[in-house]
Amino acid sequence: MDFTWTDEDAAYRARIRAFLDRELPDNWDEIARHGPGSPEQTEFSLNFCPKLAEEGLLIPHWPEEWGGAARPPWEHFILGEEMWRAGEPRGAQYMNVNWIGPVLMKYGSDAQKAQYIPPMAEGRAIWCQGFSEPNAGSDLASLRTRAVREGEDYVINGQKIWTSYAGLASTCFLLAQTGGAEGGRSGIAIFLVPMDTPGIEVRAIPSLIGHGDIHEVFFTDVRVPASCRLGEEGEGWSIISYALANERVGIPRYEMGTAELDAMVAELKRRDAFSDSIVRSRASAAAAACEAARLQVYRVVDGRARNEPPGNESNLARVAVIAAEQAVADFGMDFLPDAFSGADHMSMLSHHERAIVTGIAAGAAEIQLNLIARRHLNLPKGA
Amino acid sequence: MRFALNEDQATFATVLEQMLATAEFNTVEGWGRYDLGTALDAQLEENGFYEAAREPDLGPVAAALMVYEAARAPVCFECAASALIRPYAGRDLPRPLAVVHGEARGAIRYLPQARGLVSITADAVRYADLPEGAVTPSESLYAYPMGNVDRAALDWEKLDVDPAEFDTLWRIAIAAELTGVLQAGHDAVLEHVRDRKQFGQPLGAFQGVQHRLATGAVEIEGAKLQMLKAAQSRTAQDAALALGFAQGIATRITYDLHQFMGAMGLTLEHPLHRWSYRAKLLRADLGGSAASYLAYADERWGAA
Repeated sequence: MDFTWTDEDAAYRARIRAFLDRELPDNWDEIARHGPGSPEQTEFSLNFCPKLAEEGLLIPHWPEEWGGAARPPWEHFILGEEMWRAGEPRGAQYMNVNWIGPVLMKYGSDAQKAQYIPPMAEGRAIWCQGFSEPNAGSDLASLRTRAVREGEDYVINGQKIWTSYAGLASTCFLLAQTGGAEGGRSGIAIFLVPMDTPGIEVRAIPSLIGHGDIHEVFFTDVRVPASCRLGEEGEGWSIISYALANERVGIPRYEMGTAELDAMVAELKRRDAFSDSIVRSRASAAAAACEAARLQVYRVVDGRARNEPPGNESNLARVAVIAAEQAVADFGMDFLPDAFSGADHMSMLSHHERAIVTGIAAGAAEIQLNLIARRHLNLPKGA
Repeated sequence: MRFALNEDQATFATVLEQMLATAEFNTVEGWGRYDLGTALDAQLEENGFYEAAREPDLGPVAAALMVYEAARAPVCFECAASALIRPYAGRDLPRPLAVVHGEARGAIRYLPQARGLVSITADAVRYADLPEGAVTPSESLYAYPMGNVDRAALDWEKLDVDPAEFDTLWRIAIAAELTGVLQAGHDAVLEHVRDRKQFGQPLGAFQGVQHRLATGAVEIEGAKLQMLKAAQSRTAQDAALALGFAQGIATRITYDLHQFMGAMGLTLEHPLHRWSYRAKLLRADLGGSAASYLAYADERWGAA
């Protein structure tokens, strides 16, 4: 066992930090106040990601054929950690580099690859994912949006909800039913739908996590050529399983939590309010939750780096990450309550906004607990 | 960053596991709360297991893992101090070895069996032999042999070691033992809830039970990884964080384990107490979670 970084990994991290120090603009804090899902940050990514690409820091883990450098999983992960630590200046584009690009490489037609991969590699593509629906959240397989074949086209009708980045996305990675009336996993197909196709309407949902972060997307008689379909009819679920396995541990949220905790402690020190034992020990408890999450996530990445088949560790890691985000947010609310009522501490406010989402986004935490109980602890299924 | 054991550590872990698997749960005469694993302990000693920390290819990670694994056995024997304190003492110390930290009052675990006592304070680490008759065994709520000694009457020798380093080692040792007893208790309860049926289905099929056990599993795993990381780094910061976390999760998990074991867990015919009543003592060691967290805050953020 070795919990230290190699010199190469440490140098790589230092290189990313130096790049961020150099390239993030003076008003970055102002932009980042709104959080990674905000329209401000998504727009910013269109300016920033091309610079990352030029530096070889956008898609270093991609194969050389698609402009990458086939760098190992740990480097890819360190890159994600550092980006998230800085507030995720890649905005929506983290999805492209982490999973949409790799999924297209594996399942896309030649035409789809040629159309969509180069703009991602250049850092100028915004995608949104059309997954959740009003009646299909964590139970994603029950989605009802339908794509009906008509000659060389599909006609799509339905509604997506909670869609991030939809306001600015040029393409939607859409899940829809093409199968019979019974629906379910076997009837799901994936469509790569240009967001300017007639019949698509996007409405921002006013929310606690920021304005313009989440949307409803309505599809009314949206006609797309069959060449927009990714893979075969009925293959959608296995493609999405592959995509999510690529994303096994999700976002390294504990990294921003750790940075936020340091900022909170610095603020408390500035106020001469960090001498109290209760405050100090609670700060440490939040740090421990972050560390517990970090190590569990690292274990998943280690498995990936050694080409081990995915195990249950990613489910455990997801739950640990949620606890970490909440521990940091709670610490802030308990000891810096005024930070949530004024404009001076927007990064804390933004962190808290994200903390309430962590257990919901990408499938409810309870699903992870179910999976841990069933697969990791071998507990029986209920009647 | 590598989570797999190296070859030597893996062999060490495999042989250790085989030896520990021979330990069975037996009730003891007079319904005592602990069962001393004397034979197993002797076997581990003869085979050099307590020297792992200083072996270049095993190191403190293997030693901490041993403390964790030994704590999972349904018998108890002094392992933590022998595996993680004794190898660093700078001179041969006898074992079993008892440890007292700071000015902690009251009975000390393993004292009735110990041949020597190590005292770790902020300014020094001292050692004293325990002459025959010096120790008075004491009745205890905990599932450990406990005893008292008149410390002022012992013949103390100052060890030529860094007290801060020993403070760190002892935190790692306690974190390892506490994580091990929590894991063992958790495993015992999992077995129970898979089998025990009520309302027509196993207890473990109820989501209310599943989610709490799943949460416990996540926490124990987090404690174990932090403990192993601390064993490798041996920094005060990592050790304080690992112990603070393990002690922080211990209370609720211990209540949950007894909750799900129901009345069966109240009996001395079931082994749960062998782990849960060690956890109850370990979670309060060195001042408990909050004290460890304060030590971490000093390291991480400095003074106020």
